[in-house]
Amino acid sequence: MFRAPLTKVIQGRFGSPTHGITSKAIRSSAALSQTPAKAPEKIEVFVDDVSVKVLPGTTVLQACAVAGVEIPRFCYHERLSVAGNCRMCLVEVEKSPKPVAACAMPVMKGWRIKTNSEMTRKAREGVMEFLLMNHPLDCPICDQGGECDLQDQAMAFGSDRSRFTDINHTGKRAVEDKNFGPLVKGIMTRCIHCTRCVRFACEVAGVEDLGTTGRGNDMQIGTYVEKLFLSELSGNVIDLCPVGALTSKPYSFVARPWEIRKVSSIDVLDAVGSNIVVSTRTNEVLRIVPRENEDINEEWLADKSRFACDGLKRQRLVAPMVRMPNGELQAVEWEGALISVAKAIKDAKGAVAAIAGQLVDVESLVALKDLLNRNGGETLCTEQNFNVKGSGSDLRSNYVCNTTIADLEQADAVLLIGTNPRYEAPLINTRLRKSYINNEMDIASIGPKIDLSYNHQNLGEDAGLISQVCNGGHPFSKVLENAKKPAIVLGANVLERPDAAGIHTTVASYCKKLNKQGWNAFNVLQNNAGQTGALDVGYQPGTQAALKAQPKVLILLGADGGKVDREKLPKDCYVIYIGHHGDNGASIADAVLPGAAYTEKQAIYVNTEGRAQQTLAAVSPPGMAREDWKILRALSEILGTPLPYDNLDDLRNRIEDIAPHLVRFGKLESSTFGNLTEQLATSKSIENTKIDVKQKKLREYFMTDPISRASPTMARCVREVSGEEAKEESQRQAAC
Amino acid sequence: MAGALVRINFLQRPAIILYSIGASLPAVAQRRLQGTSAPPPGTPPPQTKTKFGPLADQDRIFTNLYGRHDWRLKGALKRGDWHRTKEIILKGSDWIINELKTSGLRGRGGAGFPSGMKWSFMNKPSDGRPKYLVVNADEGEPGTCKDREIMRHDPHKLVEGCLVAGKAMGARAAYIYIRGEFYNEASNMQLAIAEAYQAGLIGKNACGSGYDFDVFMHRGAGAYICGEETALIESLEGKQGKPRLKPPFPADVGVFGCPTTVNNVETIAVAPTIMRRGGAWFASFGRTRNSGTKLFNISGHVNKPCTIEEEMSIPLKELIERHAGGIRGGWDNLLGVIPGGSSTPVIPKKVCDDVLMDFDGLIAAQTSLGTAALIVMDRSTDIIKAIERLTAFYRHESCGQCTPCREGIMWMHKIMKRFVAGNGQPDEIDMLWEISKQIEGHTICALADGAAWPVQGLIRHFRPEIEERMKKYAVRATN
Amino acid sequence: MSFVRQILAKTPQGVHWAKTVSNSSRCMSSVGSRDAPPIDVSQVIAQPEELERKRKLSGAITVPTKVDLSPISGVPEEHVKTRRVCIHLPPKNAMQSGTDNLNHWVIEFDNRERWENPLMGWTSTGDPLSNMEVTFGSKEEAIEHCERNGWRWFIDAEEKPKVERVKNYGLNFHWNRRTRTSTK
Repeated sequence: MFRAPLTKVIQGRFGSPTHGITSKAIRSSAALSQTPAKAPEKIEVFVDDVSVKVLPGTTVLQACAVAGVEIPRFCYHERLSVAGNCRMCLVEVEKSPKPVAACAMPVMKGWRIKTNSEMTRKAREGVMEFLLMNHPLDCPICDQGGECDLQDQAMAFGSDRSRFTDINHTGKRAVEDKNFGPLVKGIMTRCIHCTRCVRFACEVAGVEDLGTTGRGNDMQIGTYVEKLFLSELSGNVIDLCPVGALTSKPYSFVARPWEIRKVSSIDVLDAVGSNIVVSTRTNEVLRIVPRENEDINEEWLADKSRFACDGLKRQRLVAPMVRMPNGELQAVEWEGALISVAKAIKDAKGAVAAIAGQLVDVESLVALKDLLNRNGGETLCTEQNFNVKGSGSDLRSNYVCNTTIADLEQADAVLLIGTNPRYEAPLINTRLRKSYINNEMDIASIGPKIDLSYNHQNLGEDAGLISQVCNGGHPFSKVLENAKKPAIVLGANVLERPDAAGIHTTVASYCKKLNKQGWNAFNVLQNNAGQTGALDVGYQPGTQAALKAQPKVLILLGADGGKVDREKLPKDCYVIYIGHHGDNGASIADAVLPGAAYTEKQAIYVNTEGRAQQTLAAVSPPGMAREDWKILRALSEILGTPLPYDNLDDLRNRIEDIAPHLVRFGKLESSTFGNLTEQLATSKSIENTKIDVKQKKLREYFMTDPISRASPTMARCVREVSGEEAKEESQRQAAC
Repeated sequence: MAGALVRINFLQRPAIILYSIGASLPAVAQRRLQGTSAPPPGTPPPQTKTKFGPLADQDRIFTNLYGRHDWRLKGALKRGDWHRTKEIILKGSDWIINELKTSGLRGRGGAGFPSGMKWSFMNKPSDGRPKYLVVNADEGEPGTCKDREIMRHDPHKLVEGCLVAGKAMGARAAYIYIRGEFYNEASNMQLAIAEAYQAGLIGKNACGSGYDFDVFMHRGAGAYICGEETALIESLEGKQGKPRLKPPFPADVGVFGCPTTVNNVETIAVAPTIMRRGGAWFASFGRTRNSGTKLFNISGHVNKPCTIEEEMSIPLKELIERHAGGIRGGWDNLLGVIPGGSSTPVIPKKVCDDVLMDFDGLIAAQTSLGTAALIVMDRSTDIIKAIERLTAFYRHESCGQCTPCREGIMWMHKIMKRFVAGNGQPDEIDMLWEISKQIEGHTICALADGAAWPVQGLIRHFRPEIEERMKKYAVRATN
Repeated sequence: MSFVRQILAKTPQGVHWAKTVSNSSRCMSSVGSRDAPPIDVSQVIAQPEELERKRKLSGAITVPTKVDLSPISGVPEEHVKTRRVCIHLPPKNAMQSGTDNLNHWVIEFDNRERWENPLMGWTSTGDPLSNMEVTFGSKEEAIEHCERNGWRWFIDAEEKPKVERVKNYGLNFHWNRRTRTSTK
């Protein structure tokens, strides 16, 4: 993509029929041309006298959107069910005596919708007046101020003055604040009762904790009884809330929206690759909010990804460090650090190994690989194991979500093996839940009993069940085989077992049977953002190879999982840590080279479905820290084996040479060679041991990587959620 | 007479077919066909009477309104309930609906939607879902107490009505959603249902007609809003009683997601008698489009408050003078009447003098028949306070879903409270009017309309009194 | 014929484009002016061949070479050679439902270090381009602009058709599907 010559660009990439259409048209109406031919006949309606053709059953609001007219709304949200209770979307329809609620009313043929008539404007102004009547005038101290739907719509549709003379007599309503937990701050006096949060909790998060109590003007949003809103997706209610009733607790009183800079980026705290917007001020990441991407995260974001960003300011490595003879790490200048590291590598004479961690980007992986290869090292592994022999990590379809995240919501029968998507990939779980709701999906799990936020069948913990299902001898096999779009999701942790190869082959060959035209049922749910990319560029999975090689120099590239310790290494092994947080890796290192976190570099990450995306630098790395690939480039210079790239573009050209799909950002390459798996694989044996998942409870979700481990917010989450879960547990026991 | 009507209908059919293919007929023939074509089946016969009421005793449907006789099955049978119900059932759904259409019965719950048409909505081809009849016995409107009398003293009329209506719409079961406060009524109702089950009148093979029909009773928890049909459905499903938007109408997606018709107790209870005595008999009462007999509740400042079955279109004055013993202190002492339960606008004495008690007559008087519960107020009434009290009721009973209702009624009440004392400016009366207009018609259900109308009625007819009070207050405040 | 000319000739956006790169195209835009010129006496009395020659000269002149404005734009070389421009559609603010102001393309430069000014707490930066936000009607215009200024660019946005969703209020009450809502 970079710097493609203009002519090529025009002829090739942009030579699509959409060329020349303005972006607005693409956003709003391109979908029209994509509807299948068999779709029912469209009906014609008129929005402000502009003719629009829509499918029967389209709501007035959607029809207006097609015509490019945006109807104001509070309760309506595209991804939630229709509530129709805020009445802000009232519009006039010709021949209707009353204005209709656009969000819920399906259009009829020939309707003439008037979105700017006297009646419509009066209705909006009236509703707005009522909303503002009891809404406190505390915009100056409200965190939503500046990005508040109520503010904006009051400006656009409200009256220019208040008639609420009763402010002088009885005043406004006041509601007691509620404690929703460590992440969401509730200032309930501001609530306009749109019930978006309630619907989100029930429909998307699958936690029926939120609801309304009381009626009329005493209606309140809350958790019925005093408890925390325990969900791994709780932060999304902050976005959904059109006013400042639910705001972010860690972000409260931190910044105003007009002070911050927004940089579009990618989240790396799980393997989903959620699209995010990083809000920064000065050189500080203040908050992270989701960015719409239909293929990945829709417009949600998991709590860890959203709130762990304050971990980027703690425990950072800000200067290169070298371990002194007294055993202390001492900060040194870059030059000194690089020279001593280069010396160690040179002395090793090729006995160099590298282990890549959880959050590494493709650029540094490639640079490290090139560096090592130039210095005689061949042992490059990932920290997380993927214990599949033979072709295991050679074929891409063996370690990615082949069904793709977006298509999982079409699945109608899913088997989860040793994974808890709710905490390993919350946004994939929302897809599964969506399918559960809309497609009547049957879902079963092999592994411990877990709460997936929807009903599922737990087949048991025994690994033998896998072969039982895959032989067709289990009742659930019938469900899978009869399904139109079946899917099996293998947890990445299962594939760390010694018998992973057997499990993998069994499942893969069974999936081959389940596969349909254009539908691949085999999925591996990675939980490390760096894993897919590392396997893509040819890293060996698992630390065994590196340990077995007994290297003289071991380079830990952000390997903080704690899987490597001094005992397993030769005594004289020189450990070099390149990474951004002072965590497990840095503590055993002889030399620490401070790198950049994901918000500080432009880097490629590959998500669990194999989609390459790039982060953009929102801030610059703290102190003397530098982008990881630049550190490696500098090191190569000192080693006398300079890497052939001086800037990011050259490096990406190199990546393109290795794996072209890694620079086609946002695009998903369908994995080929899926059918080769079976022939190449060897063993099919599965041990009869229990299958476990790492994250069973919400409290285990918050801290899984160096960034979230360093985050005070996540620490608070763990504390409060553990307390709440313990409380619930004791209540349950008392009730029994 | 009913049979004759049906026969005419059968004769009519070929003519209709001819007319439908009549495009090829010569123009003259077409015109002739048009001229001679009778009204479609189910049209009530034209009304010839010009004076309505009083209702003769033999025309009364509710013959045990005052509980002077046995309300149980034995007594009900004596009064003619369950008489040849089997035959009615066996005549089939089309006949029942046609008869109901002929009777011109309009829903007795307040909105006055033609019941025959409402029942006929249910006769769409089945898609596998069961259909339900829901009887709205959540009579919570202040001033209204007609359904209570039926369920207390004539519960079998309702049970039989459920069966007839259920058959007409092909319902699997009827749910009677009874107001939580109606303890005795619920007890009687439950007994009546049990009696009917034991006698084989409902349940499997109801009345021996081969039609299976169950009747369940569900007690509410005391929310006025649950008298709104969709809120009632929600409540019946076990959720908060918050109205749903329409569409989808209950006839499409109702209780438990199945086609449902929600009818008032009175509507259902009169159906068996209409079937037995014929739609035309029922249509002979009251003006055209307002036909039938109706239970009127007269409360307030009258000498003898009562519930009485009367002919529709009876003049209000006659109704009060004849049955309620007149206004306390004579007709001239009348200040105003709320003619249809608390949600309808008040009408002053000069309108009361000659208004007719039916749907059209009261609409012409800028009010509504509602549930035909007259709240009579004499000159001793503080009308502003009275309306303020009604607003307080609606404020308390609003479900809180829609913004205009939730916020608007509270605001109206705040203003009304001040107006009672006179603490306000005259231009605030206009503001109140505008607010009530901003509320009306902007919400999911009609509760907000019902809250706005009394205030509108007050401003329409009693504005001078509000202004007077404000003046007094201002004088007092300055002194 | 160069690409620039093509755009100018083909689309009405060319006019808009001309505005964004007005520096360079000012010389050409006078040619394309449609105002009726005052009658020139010399033209009226001129010979036919003379008129023909003039007519030939008055046509648009095609510049076949790539236009690079960086040497004359006055931008320091450092900010031409080392900068990377991200061309993207501004993402919708997750906190709000409005979608106005999102339908144009924006160029944004790579982030350089910022720091808090110790005196007033304001944000300081040494990057003269950090606050430059230029909007374009289409991504081609943005690319063109970057090309002419000699910046390396990349596109960080995808145009995906908007997903059509079924919004059906009745589904909340469906009789046998899981879309039934249980709470409010």
